[in-house]
Amino acid sequence: MRLAFWLYEGTALHGISRVTNSMKGVHTVYHAPQGDDYITATYTMLERTPAFPGLSISVVRGRDLAQGVSRLPSTLQQVEHHYHPELTVIAPSCSTALLQEDLHQLAAHSGVPQEKLLVYALNPFRVSENESADGLFTELVKRYAAPQEKTAAPSVNLLGFTSLGFHLRANLTSLRRMLQTLGVTVNVVAPWGAGIDDLGKLPAAWLNIAPYREIGTTAAGYLADKFSMPAIYEAPIGVEPTLAWLRSVIDQINRVGAERGVPPITMPKLHNFSLDGINAPSGVPWFARTADMESFSNKRAFVFGDATHTVGIVKFLKDELGMKIIGAGTYLEQHADWVRKELEGYLPGELMVTDKFQDVSKVIDEEMPDLVCGTQMERHACRKLDVPCMVICPPTHIENHLLGYYPFFGFDGSDVIADRVYLSCKLGLEKHLIDFFGDAGLEYEESTSSGEPHEALSAVTTGNGHAPHGVTSESEQGSGEGDMIWTDDAETMLKKVPFFVRKKVRKNTETFARENGATQVSVEVFRQAKESLGG
Amino acid sequence: MMQVPGDVQIIKEDNVTHSFCGLACVGWMYQKIKDSFFLILGTHTCAHFLQNALGMMIFAKPRFGIALIEEGDLSKSEPTLEEILREIKADHHPSVIFLLSSCTPEVMKVDFKGLAHHLSTPDVPVLFVPASGLVYNFTQAEDSVLHALVPFCPEAPAGEKKVVFLGSVNDATADDLRAEAEELGIAVGGFLPESRFDRMPAIGPDTVLAPIQPYLSRVAVKLARERGARVLNSLFPFGPDGTRAFWEDLAREFGITVDLRDREKAAWEKIRKQTDMLKGKKVFLTADTMLELPLGRFLKNAGADVVECSSAYINKKFHSRELEALEGVRVVEQPNFHRQLVDVKRIKPDLIVTSLMTANPFVGHGFVVKWSMEFMLTSIHSWSGVFPLANLFVSPLQRRSLLPAFDEEVWLEGVMPSAE
Repeated sequence: MRLAFWLYEGTALHGISRVTNSMKGVHTVYHAPQGDDYITATYTMLERTPAFPGLSISVVRGRDLAQGVSRLPSTLQQVEHHYHPELTVIAPSCSTALLQEDLHQLAAHSGVPQEKLLVYALNPFRVSENESADGLFTELVKRYAAPQEKTAAPSVNLLGFTSLGFHLRANLTSLRRMLQTLGVTVNVVAPWGAGIDDLGKLPAAWLNIAPYREIGTTAAGYLADKFSMPAIYEAPIGVEPTLAWLRSVIDQINRVGAERGVPPITMPKLHNFSLDGINAPSGVPWFARTADMESFSNKRAFVFGDATHTVGIVKFLKDELGMKIIGAGTYLEQHADWVRKELEGYLPGELMVTDKFQDVSKVIDEEMPDLVCGTQMERHACRKLDVPCMVICPPTHIENHLLGYYPFFGFDGSDVIADRVYLSCKLGLEKHLIDFFGDAGLEYEESTSSGEPHEALSAVTTGNGHAPHGVTSESEQGSGEGDMIWTDDAETMLKKVPFFVRKKVRKNTETFARENGATQVSVEVFRQAKESLGG
Repeated sequence: MMQVPGDVQIIKEDNVTHSFCGLACVGWMYQKIKDSFFLILGTHTCAHFLQNALGMMIFAKPRFGIALIEEGDLSKSEPTLEEILREIKADHHPSVIFLLSSCTPEVMKVDFKGLAHHLSTPDVPVLFVPASGLVYNFTQAEDSVLHALVPFCPEAPAGEKKVVFLGSVNDATADDLRAEAEELGIAVGGFLPESRFDRMPAIGPDTVLAPIQPYLSRVAVKLARERGARVLNSLFPFGPDGTRAFWEDLAREFGITVDLRDREKAAWEKIRKQTDMLKGKKVFLTADTMLELPLGRFLKNAGADVVECSSAYINKKFHSRELEALEGVRVVEQPNFHRQLVDVKRIKPDLIVTSLMTANPFVGHGFVVKWSMEFMLTSIHSWSGVFPLANLFVSPLQRRSLLPAFDEEVWLEGVMPSAE
C-alpha cells in the first residue's frame, strides 16, 4: 500500500471504455457501484461528445450485496431495449472483481443473445488503461476480422487510434493527407469511428499501420500472423522519421502490389506533401539550421511520458533540433524495454521508469532542465520551478484538447512540435540582450500569488461559491527547500539576474552556501558562488 | 408511490443514474476545513476519479490522497496505514485526518471504525467517514464528514439559545448568513463545519440547527437525538421564496416575529428580467447534486413549468416543506436515466439541469442545459444569492438566443464518429 496523489495511467475500465466509446454500435456495461461511471465525464467533457457515450452502469448497492441481488441482467435488458447495440462489453469493477461474481452466468440470465455480449473479465487490480485497451481491441479484431479478398487499389488500415488519444484527430488528418498524396486509400480506421462490420473488413487492406506502441500493435501482430498482413509500427514523429515512414509504406505496398501485378507507387515530389502542395512540406530542416536555433544547441532537455512519445520526442529534439538530452523516462513499465532499445545511444544515463510523479518532479527539481517534455503532471511540477515545459502525451488536461490542427505526426506534426519547443524555451537573441543588460522593463511579477485557481475545479467556470481559498498558498513555498536567509544586498544583487534563471541561481547559490558552511547568503557568498559555479 | 403531506407523489425508480459517488465531497470539504487531510482508502479507480471527474488537477500539495489498495493488499487482513499517516503528518501537519471508505475496502469488510480509532492520536484524531458508492451518492458524504465531526463540537450549556448553520459554504457566504441572522436579533453559535477543525461550534439542547444544504439529514437527526438540538423545519434558503421562509421560520424559533414579505417582493423584483424569461419555460432536473428539490421549488415559484424534479435521495421529513411547495410537480427519487432520456425527447424541455456526464450530449440532442455542479460552486444562498441563482438558470437560455442558427448536419460532422 502506498500514498498516491495523481496517477499517470487510468484504470482498466478507462481502457475498455476508450475502445468502446470509439466504436459504432458498441456499448459498455460496468457492473460497478454508483459513481464508477464518472468515466463518462472524461468523454462528454474532454471530447465534448454531442451524443451519449455508450456506457451504462449496472449499479451495485450495498443493499443488493446483502440480499444477493444483481441488477446486471436487468441493465443488459434495458440497454438492449433502449439502444440496440450490436455488441455489449461487460466489464467488472474493483469491487465486483473482488466479489468474484460470475459475470458470464449473470449475462446469460439477461436473455440477451450471447453473440451480442462480450464479458471482458480482466483483473482491474493487475491491468491498467493501456494494456486493457490494447487487449480488448485485439479481442474484438480476433472476433470479427474475416478472411476476404484484398482491395483492388493499394490500401491501409490505421490501427490504435482511440478515443482520448493524444492529438488524435490531428494525427489522423496528418496521416490521411500523406497517404492521399501517395495515392494509398484508407481501408479502415479502428477503433476510432469503426463499427463491427469495419473490423470484419480489416483483412481487405494491403498493410496495417499501428504507430502507437501502447494500443494497436498487438492487433496488428495478430493480423500479421493470421492473415499474413504486413505492418508498420514506427511513429512518424519528426521529418526524417516521416521520410523513413513514407519509404516504408511505399516499399510494403509495392511488395504486395508485385504479388498482385499492380504497378508500383513511387515517392512523389516532397512539396506535394505540403498544405498547399507547392512549398517545402516542413519548415523544420531550415529552421534547425538558422542562426536563431544556434542558441538551442546547448539547451538541456528532459523527456518523460508514455512509450511512443518519449521515444519520438527524444529523437526529434536530439536528431533534428540538435538539443542536448539530459535524461528521459516512461511511466509504462511494460514498454520500458522497448523504449530502452529505441533510445540506445540517446541517453547519458539509465532510462527512468516510474509511475510516481513525485519522483519525476524531484529529478526536474534537481536538474533544472532548460526544457521538459512531459505530461500534465510534469507541466505542473515545472510551473512551480519556472522550468519551461510542453505536454507531449497523456495524462492530459482540458487545455490539451484544442480545436485547431496540431498534429504530432508527419511533416505537419514536425512543424507543430518545433513551434512548441521554440515557444516553450526561453528566447534566442532576446536572451542575450537580457543577459547583457539585465531584465529592465522585462520584469515579470514574481510568481507568488498565482496558484492557478483556474485549474482548481476547472470543470466549472463560475467558481465563486466554494472557490478554493486554500489552494493558492501551498504552491508559494515552491522549490525552497531550506531556510537560507539572504541579506538585503544579496537579494538586490539577485534581482539583477535575469528573471528566468533567478530561481535556479537562488537554488544553486543556497546549495553552494550550505556546502561551504555559510548560514546566510551575503553579497560575498553570492559572488563566491557565482565565480565557482561559473556565473 | 408514497404519499406525503401536501399530496406530493414521489415516484421511486431503480437509481440507474449518471452521478458521482460520495468521494466527490472531498473536492470541496478539504478546501473548507483548512487544517484537514482527507485520506481515502481506495483503489486506482478512486484516484482516477478524483483526478479526472472533478477536473481537480490542482497539484499544489493537495490535502487529500489515496492509500492505494494494490493486488497484494487484497489478501491482507487489515490495511497498515501507519507509514502513510507518518508521511501525511510530516508533509501536511493536519489537525485532523478524515479516513474515507470506498467500495473495495467495504467489500473486504475492513473495520474502519477500529482502524480510525487505532490510528488516532490525541494530537491528530483520525475520523472515519463512510463515503463509498455502495451506499452514498455525491453530496451525501458531506453528511458523513459532519457526522464524524459531531464529537468535536463542544456541548453548549442549556439555556444557550443560538443558531448553528448546518452545511459547508464558503467564508463569504458564511459571513453573510451570520450578519443577516444578527440583524434579525438571532444569536449565532457558528457553522458546522467551521473552516478550522478546532473551532467547531458548540451544540446543546437549546441550539437551533438551521440546515442550509439539503443533503444533511443524517447529521441533523444525530444532533437532535444526541444533543437535544432543535432542527429548523423550513425551506432551504435559496431564492426569494426560500430565503424569506427560512429567516422568518428561524426568527420564530427565537421568539422573534419578522415579516419579510416586502423583502421577498423586492428580491423578486430584482430578478424580474430573469423570471420573465423563465415564465412558462419547461425545465427538467435530472438527479445529481441533491440540490434538486429546492432548485425545482424556486423555479416553480418563479413561474417555470418544472416537468420533472428528480433527486437521488429524498427524506420525507427533512424535505417535507420543499415537497409541500413542489405540489403538482412530478418528483422522482432514484430515477432511471434511460427512461428520463425517453421522456426528455418526448417533452422537449426548454432547459435541462444535469450532471457533467450528461450535459454535452443533451446539447447535442438540441437542448439547452446547465451543469448541476455549478449550483454547488456558486454563492446562491440567502438574499445575496438570489441574483446569481436566477442568472445560473437564465444564462444558458440567453446565450443560446445570442448564437446563430446551428445546422447540426454541418457542424457536428466527425465530432463523435462512433455516434454517426
